[in-house]
Formats: sequence, C-alpha cells, structure tokens
Amino acid sequence: MESIISFGIAMLAAPLFPGVILKMKAFWAGKKGPPLLIKYYTFFKLLKKGSVYSNSTTFVFKMGPTVSLGAAIMALLFFPLGGTAPILAFEGDVILIFYMLALGRFFTICAALDTASPFEGMGAAREAYYSTLAEATVFVILVLFYRLSGALSFAEFFSGPAPITVMGPAGALLLLVIVSLFMVLLTENSRVPVDDPATHLELTMIHEVMILDHSGPDLALIELGAFYKLFFYAAFITHILHPLQYGAPWVNGLVFYGIMALIYAAVGLTESIMARFRMNLVPKFILTSFALVFFATILTMGVIK
Amino acid sequence: MDTFFLAIGVILVAGILPLTISRQFNLMKSSCLLLMAAGCVIGLSEVLSFLSNSGEAAAANWAWLQIFTLSFKLDTISAFFLIPVFLISPLALLYSFHYLEKPEQSTRTALNYFCYAILVASMALVATANNIVTFALAWELMSLSSFFLVVYEYQAKETRRAGYLYFIFAQGGAMFLFAAFGLIYSHTGSFSFEQVAAIPENIKLLVFILAFIGFGSKAGIFPLHIWLPHAHPAAPSHVSAVMSGVMIKMGIYGIVRIYSLLGSVDMTFAVIVIVAGMITGVLGVVYALGKQDMKKMLAYSSVENIGIILMGLGIGMVGVASGVKTMAFFGFAGAFLHVFNHAIFKSLLFMGAGAVLHKTGTRSINQLGGLMKRMPTTGRSFLAGSIAISGLPPFNGFIGEFLIYFGAFQGLGLHGLPFVLTTLTIISLAVVGGLATACFTKAVGLAFLGEPRSEAAAKADEAGFTMQLVMVLLAASCLLIGIFPEPFVQLAFNGMRDLNLVGAADPGLFLTLVRNIAMTASLFLALIIGITLLRRMLYVRKQVERGPTWGCGFTQPTVRMQYTGTSYAMSMVDFYRPFVPAKTVYSGISKIFPGLTTYETRVEDLAEKYIHRGLIRPLVKYLHKLRWIQHGKIQLYIGYIVLAIVALLIFI
Repeated sequence: MESIISFGIAMLAAPLFPGVILKMKAFWAGKKGPPLLIKYYTFFKLLKKGSVYSNSTTFVFKMGPTVSLGAAIMALLFFPLGGTAPILAFEGDVILIFYMLALGRFFTICAALDTASPFEGMGAAREAYYSTLAEATVFVILVLFYRLSGALSFAEFFSGPAPITVMGPAGALLLLVIVSLFMVLLTENSRVPVDDPATHLELTMIHEVMILDHSGPDLALIELGAFYKLFFYAAFITHILHPLQYGAPWVNGLVFYGIMALIYAAVGLTESIMARFRMNLVPKFILTSFALVFFATILTMGVIK
Repeated sequence: MDTFFLAIGVILVAGILPLTISRQFNLMKSSCLLLMAAGCVIGLSEVLSFLSNSGEAAAANWAWLQIFTLSFKLDTISAFFLIPVFLISPLALLYSFHYLEKPEQSTRTALNYFCYAILVASMALVATANNIVTFALAWELMSLSSFFLVVYEYQAKETRRAGYLYFIFAQGGAMFLFAAFGLIYSHTGSFSFEQVAAIPENIKLLVFILAFIGFGSKAGIFPLHIWLPHAHPAAPSHVSAVMSGVMIKMGIYGIVRIYSLLGSVDMTFAVIVIVAGMITGVLGVVYALGKQDMKKMLAYSSVENIGIILMGLGIGMVGVASGVKTMAFFGFAGAFLHVFNHAIFKSLLFMGAGAVLHKTGTRSINQLGGLMKRMPTTGRSFLAGSIAISGLPPFNGFIGEFLIYFGAFQGLGLHGLPFVLTTLTIISLAVVGGLATACFTKAVGLAFLGEPRSEAAAKADEAGFTMQLVMVLLAASCLLIGIFPEPFVQLAFNGMRDLNLVGAADPGLFLTLVRNIAMTASLFLALIIGITLLRRMLYVRKQVERGPTWGCGFTQPTVRMQYTGTSYAMSMVDFYRPFVPAKTVYSGISKIFPGLTTYETRVEDLAEKYIHRGLIRPLVKYLHKLRWIQHGKIQLYIGYIVLAIVALLIFI
C-alpha cells in the first residue's frame, strides 16, 4: 500500500521538478523566472487543445507519445521511490526496464521519421546515435552494481539489506558512478550540454525537434513521459547519494524529495554555467561517462575478492 | 524415427511432383505447397512430441554402398533445431505462391520448388545425421540445393557472381569440416560420432577450430560472412527467408553439436566462441546500418544475430568451463531460444522486403518511403518484425536476449578472464541492441514512413494475399511469444536436455523469471491500451485538422529533402570508422552558382576488402603460372585422369 501511495505521489510530483530547473536558471540569469508550477499549467493548457496532424503521418505518429509515456511509467513502477519498496520487482527487472525505455525511443524516432520532415529526421538520427552510446554506459553501471550487490533488480540495489550507496564500503567507486550517471541523465533527457531544449534554432536540437509536429494532448503525453523519465534518472542518483532507511515513511519521503530537488537544481546549475556542446563533442562526452564507470568496474576486480 | 522419415519422404515427393506437372502452373504450386505442408506438419508433430516427452534418443541405420552406414539419430538438440526447419519452410513456400507468379517461367519455378524441397529435406537430415559420412552427405546436399536456389535469376550477372561467391564459401567451409572430420577419423578409426570424445585434448582444440571455421562460413561469422550480403539480395525472397532464417542456423547447430560431441570443458573453446560472437555481433550491425539495400541490410543483420547467438553459446561455455551452472544454463537457453526467434522474425523481415521489392522494383531504402499507407499489412508486419529483431519487449526477440544477459550477469562473480569476457559480452550486447534499434528504425522509418522518394514507391500497392497472410501469421507469433514465452522457453529448455555438459539444472528460477517477464509484458500492453483509450478520450470533441508537415518556416519542401538512410546512419557509421571504411566521392562546390554536383558514399566491408587484397589477389597471381595445365584439349584431360588413377593405385 505504501508503495502505491508513494508511486502516486511521484506521478503527481514529477512535473513539479522541471520547474525547479527553470527557477534555478532564472536565479543565475538574475530573472524572476516562471512560476514553480509552470509545467502543470502548460500540461493542462495542452490537454484543452486540439491537434493538427501532418498529411504524411500514419498511426505510428500517434503511437509515439503513447508508447514513450507507457515505457516511462513502467520504469517508475519498478523503482523504489521515497524509501518504499517498488510496486513490482523481480530478479532481472533492470534489463527489462532499460529495454522498455529503448522501446519508447524506438517509437519516438519512428514518429519523428513519419512526418517526412528533414529537421525531425536529423533529430531522430542524433537521438539514435547518442542513445546507442549511453546504453553502453548504463549496462556497465549494471555490471558494477551486480558486482557490488549480487542482484539485478532496483529493489535489491536500493532497498535491500545492504543498499548501494556512497556511504557504503565501495563508496569511492560510486562517486564515479554518480558523475557518469549524471552525464547519462543529461544525455537521455536532452539537457544542456548535450541538447538545448530552449534554443531558437531547430537545426541544433535533438529531442525538441523530433516532436515538432506533435500538438495538443499528444504533446502533453510526450512531455509527461519526459518528466517521468527525468524523474527516474534523478531518483536513481538520489538513491546512490543517500540510503533511505530512516524507518518512518514520511522522513524517508522528505529526504528523498529533498535530494531530488537538489539534483534538479544541479541540472539547472549545469544549464546556467555551460553552453551546448558542438555535435561532434557529444559522443566524447558520453564516452567519458562510459570510461568512468568502466574504470570503476575494473577497480572492483581488486576490491572484491 | 519412422514418422520422421515419412515426413522427409513427403517433402521429397513435394519436390519431385512439380517437375512432372510444371505445365499446370497453379496446380503445380498448390500441390507442392500442400504436400510440403503435410510433410512439415508430420515432421513438426513428431519433433514436438519427442521434445515434450522425456524419451530416449531415437536412431536408425542403413547400409549404403556396402562399406558405409547411413546413421541417423534424433536427440533433443536435433529436435530443437528441426522446429524452425519444419515451421518456416512451408510458410515461406506459401509466401512464394504469390511471389513467383510468372506462368511463362513455370519450368524454372518447378525446378526452384524441387531444389527447395531438397534443401528442406537435407536440412532435416543434417540435424539428425549421426556419423561423419551421413553428415557430410547431407551438408553437401544442403549447400548445393541452396546454391541452385540462389541462382534462380541466373540471367543477371550480379546473381551469378553472388551464386559463385556462395558456392566458394560453402565448399571452402566444407573443406575445413572435412579436415576436422579427417582428424577425428585418424584418431578414432571410425566414422561414428559416438567416439569423438575419446580423442586427445590437444587434438580436440584443433578439431574444434577447424569445425568452427567450417560451420562459421555457413553461419556467417565475421570475417567469413561475406557471401551473405551478396547471396541474400540475389535469391528470391522466400529463399532468402529460409536461408537466412533457417539454413544458416545449421552452422550454429554444427557448432553446438561438435562442442557436445567433443565433451571438453576447456575455457579456450569459450574464448573462441565468445570473441567471435562479439566481433560478429557489433560489426554485423554496424554494416547493416551502413547498407541502404534492404536485403543487404537484413543479411548483415543476420550476421549480427549470429553474433548474439554465439555470445549466448559462449556464455554457456564459460559457465560450463568455470562450473557456474546457472550461467551455463541461461547462456545456452538464450542462444537456443534466439535461434528459434530469429528464424521467425528474420524470415518475416525478408518477406516484407520481398513484398516491397515485388511491388516497387527497388531494394534501396533511399528510393522508398510512405509505404505504410500503400502497403498497410506489409508495413505493420514489418514494424512488428523490426521491434522484435531490435530485441525490445514485449516481442519475442527480447526473451532470448534477456536470457543471455541474465546468464552473463551470473558470470560476473568470477575472476580473471571469465569476468572480463562476461563484462565485454554485456557491453557488446548493449551496443548491439542500441545499434539494432537504430538500424531498424531506419528501415521502418525511412522505407515505410514519411513520403515516397520515388515514383515507384508512390505507386506501390499491397502484396498478394498469401504473402500478406504469412507475414501477419509470423508477426502475430512474434508478439505471442513475447507475451506468452513460457511454452517456448520450455521448448528451448527441453532442447538442451541432451547437451549433457550442462547437466540437470533447477527449472524453478527459470520459470519464475519467464513468468515475471510475461507478466510485465502483459502489464505493459495493458498500460499502452489504457493510455491509448485515455488519448482517445482527450480528443473527444476536439478540433483535429490535417495539414502539411511544419517545415520550420520553409514553405516549399520537396520529398527529396527528407532524411535518407545514408544521412540517418552516417554519423553512427563514422564512429566505427577504422572498422567500417566508408568511401565518399564528392565533386565539391567551387563556383558561386554551383553547377551539377555529385556526392556518393558507400560503406565497404572490411573482410571483403582484405580477403580480396590479402588472399585472392596473391592466390590468383601464383595460380596464374599453372594456367598451361588448362589447355582445352580433351584427350590430354583424359590422360590426366588415367595418370591420377595410376598414381592412386600405386600409392594406396
């Protein structure tokens, strides 16, 4: 029951946090910035609208939002949120979850190519390219976590008897993981310095350009999926940063959402102090994250006997 | 075993009958189809009942030419590899009913059906052969019949070249096999497979390497894969479907068989298989991404999937060698299941590409587009096949890959070499998975979605009824296996029973895992349906319009501005540059008002390039010096034969 309540809270709270990023950016730019609840307002505004569909599109275009949202919700179903056990968990679920997210990407890319727009094709090609690299990083992280915990499930990783955390015996290695996971978060969720969702030129975008032709409720579903995905990655980092074992659920929840806010603020800070990379630097950026965790994994050969 | 031979008999009759009634075009096709279906159903029921009962392996022996014995044995490994043979073959033949529809070529069609039946029968015999002579005979029969199937359109020079290339690789591979068999014979003094385990350890390794090369050239292991991307586009689509979906798996069968016969638990075997698997998998998919010819792309994707299967087998072997039972079990089970799954979705995809080729006359992705509207059934089935082959849930491709992943993760507790191997396997699988998604979003997104890039694509219409029927059946089974994987995993499980190295493992963990995946897959589908309904509700009484695609302010878009397969894949291919040489020819722009400009880019195959440069060219150079032997005088040729016989009589 606790898990379901916690899941429900997460589903409702996820659109709040991107507001934190915007506030953070506004703070550093010396502006007032949009209200914290801006993403809720836009969401409901989009839901009220109708849509315009391109003549080129087929049913695949309409499946893009549905599947990507579904995949992101699945990821949260398997993730321990706010110190509670996840609703669903089994040995091996991590592999399934990352493949579910890949399925969401498959349909987002196909939906983009369905419009016959050169810009969206460009975005799709980039998304496909960068995600092949990021996927390698993610699986090395799983290798490392298996070495540390002997398990293949988010529940075992984080809410088991010996959770994976920087406070634990292998904490030094996990510092590397946090950095690299943060880089994966920026890549997979199209944040600066990999992608700039706020830029004015479609030619330089990745994710935003892929959803150019989506409008109204379709766009709202895509945005919601994106919030959940970002929430998932941020929660991933939160758990490594701090184990949530205070006993009382409300304390756990409070600490969890506190750290979450900090991570989103860190994303906002990154966006404020960095510019978007040139496209040819992005693979190097992602490979850096790969190198970091790969290094950590090699180190376990000495640490774990 | 008698039922099995009955099935083979019916299949052979299905092949011979068309030769006699080739004038009655439709009668010929339907009678062949019916007989083939009957034969395969008989075979399939025999194989399935054998797999589900824990019976003893059945064997049969026949004397042949006084000194040889033809020996057959049906054990669980053979039975498992026979399932795709008996399942895909009749479906591909049904597909060909509307694919080969030129009555004026009825004799050729009859011959095609004859060779097809021989191929199916010989594949079944390869999987059951139980001594060296029988195996070699069946193997050669399989290679030869498939060669004749490839050169169906023999008037085209391209096709003949592809046919010869395939022939050389098939025979070259067979030579390695014969070398391996010769080594076995010289140590055991018997043709029988039963005594292979008795040969000394160091010879075992050599035998395994020779056999691995021989079987690898059939399966398409890098760098022995280069016949695939030539032969598959040249062959008619139902033939490519069977060759790619089923026949190349006989190479995998051979590797599994020789491994189980040798009965060695050396880590070296595992290292060979796993390293070959990683290289084959990653390079296969990168080349697939670089190719714009649909069938070439699918051929390279077969290479990739062979890589995945090898990685699975390799994980299993590492597990056996280092005594981690769960790892061995999951590795082999994943590889077996992927053999079965790949047979389904790869034949589906080849049939989809065949339907497109049939209706548009082109295989180039850069000429296609917008086919989802014009060929809805083909497009939807191709989409399903693409998701499945990318290994994404809730389709069947995921199940096999998941088992391999799971097996690999079990090996992470090891130390030293096995740990490094398993880590690299996991990374390779992840990279291959990502690139396969990229590759098949390219195929679906550019060939079936968007706007048609050529007149031919704009005028396409839906494929014939039997073609659609088969594709829908296969696409549905991809989803079905993904959602209800349990009986199919059970099949793979039973298939491994005679792989005695693994030993009996506890199926409990296995089944819980598979049930969990099945549950998640159904949940996901339910969620998608729920969101779709929600989406419907959100659009109730809303204004929905149609209009042109937003061109970012540009008002005169043309279809040629769309992203093409080349541009989509270029940066990814570029990343793997030293292994994937891309040749670019660009005339450049020099004037302020540029004239005609050309740009061409082509991805070359590293193996093809270097085999040509390093092996063929020097070989031709030296063999050229022996040209005087071939002078065209028949009496001297007869003299050669006499001399050879005399020499043999003296020395032996």
